[in-house]
Amino acid sequence: MHTSADFERRQRFERLVSTFHPALYRYAAWLSRDPGIAEVVVQESLLRAWRSLDALREDEAAKQWLLTIVRRENARYFERKNLNMVDIDNLSAAEAATIAETGEPDLDDVREAIYGLDIEYREPLVLQVLMGYSTSEIAELLGIRQGAVLTRLHRARLKLRDILSADGCRFALRDNR
Amino acid sequence: MNCADYREAIAADPSESFDGGAAHAAGCEECRKYRQEMQALDEHIARALAIEVPELRLPELPPIESGGGKPGGKRASGFRASRFATPPFWAGLAAAAVVAAVLVVGIPQEERSTEDLVGEILAHMDHEESSRQVTSVPVATRTLDRVVSPQVAGMDQDIGLVTYAMSCVINGRTVPHLVIQGDKGPVTLILLPEETIDASVPLSGENVHGVLLPVGNGSIAVIGQREDQLDEIGDIGRKLAESVEWNI
Repeated sequence: MHTSADFERRQRFERLVSTFHPALYRYAAWLSRDPGIAEVVVQESLLRAWRSLDALREDEAAKQWLLTIVRRENARYFERKNLNMVDIDNLSAAEAATIAETGEPDLDDVREAIYGLDIEYREPLVLQVLMGYSTSEIAELLGIRQGAVLTRLHRARLKLRDILSADGCRFALRDNR
Repeated sequence: MNCADYREAIAADPSESFDGGAAHAAGCEECRKYRQEMQALDEHIARALAIEVPELRLPELPPIESGGGKPGGKRASGFRASRFATPPFWAGLAAAAVVAAVLVVGIPQEERSTEDLVGEILAHMDHEESSRQVTSVPVATRTLDRVVSPQVAGMDQDIGLVTYAMSCVINGRTVPHLVIQGDKGPVTLILLPEETIDASVPLSGENVHGVLLPVGNGSIAVIGQREDQLDEIGDIGRKLAESVEWNI
């Protein structure tokens, strides 16, 4: 029999999940570089979050808590399957299309360039730009020093700028002209 | 702060939330241009990162024990919950009667687990009814590989045309759920590594006719929609039981 406590717990879970699902999926997708794996990782993460929901004391901390679960689940997925992170050169056209369906070639170029970044540069960039995290919050989530986060973010942007310039995209420079 | 320090900092944080940044930029036109370039780049990065998100699909959520402990099956949580409650005086007698009944009937733990597993499979069949469509369109090889290969090292490729492949959560585990086109209609295959059972269990329900087969350290559910599919289900089950090698 379901009690009102069960009902409230489920309501709380569904409220949090519906709020943060887009962020969780996008984080998983940019970590794994595979939409299918991202869906599996998010499903596993939601199940794990449901089981340990009582450990989340304040809903204000839910985003970081859920992102941490997704991050661990992604690592677990690749460990369990004994897979290497997906290589950009091995992405099928179908997968690339799934990620790059903007209809804007320049935007697709930026997306592809981000795909090509190593995980150590890609992940802090996603957390900063997409999740709005400060460098100290990123440092806490990744378990590294803030100085290292700053270095990675600085290098990530320079790499992107170089890739896009070399591709003739010059997307980043256009607005200055 | 000199220009080199500023540019390094603004490339790490284009919002310029670091100390001394605004003051330096106010007096340096080149650095202001650099800042503008980084901020423009960031706008494009933000748009590029905002990929399309599929519809939220909640997994089947297992019941949680009161008190925040680990989740268990429906029966288990019921038994444990009663142990923590403050019982009325007659509860001791009732509990004794239940224990006696269990001893007499002798329901072992494995049997209860199998019952729970069968319940989850049948519930999942209801949940994904739309997967069982008659079609000649095969699922993409890459999708099939992505769903199956994490848990299955080898499997007979000649079981039929696979028209549906999805990773689904059953009994708390993500497992491959496939649909193949049989001679008399779609046949569902649910591959369940780590779900060991002692013997085959018939599966029956509304539009559900099949069997749960023990296969090594796991089991496989083979399910059709009509009773006259049972012979074919038997053949498919045999092929799978002989060919499936688990990865886990």
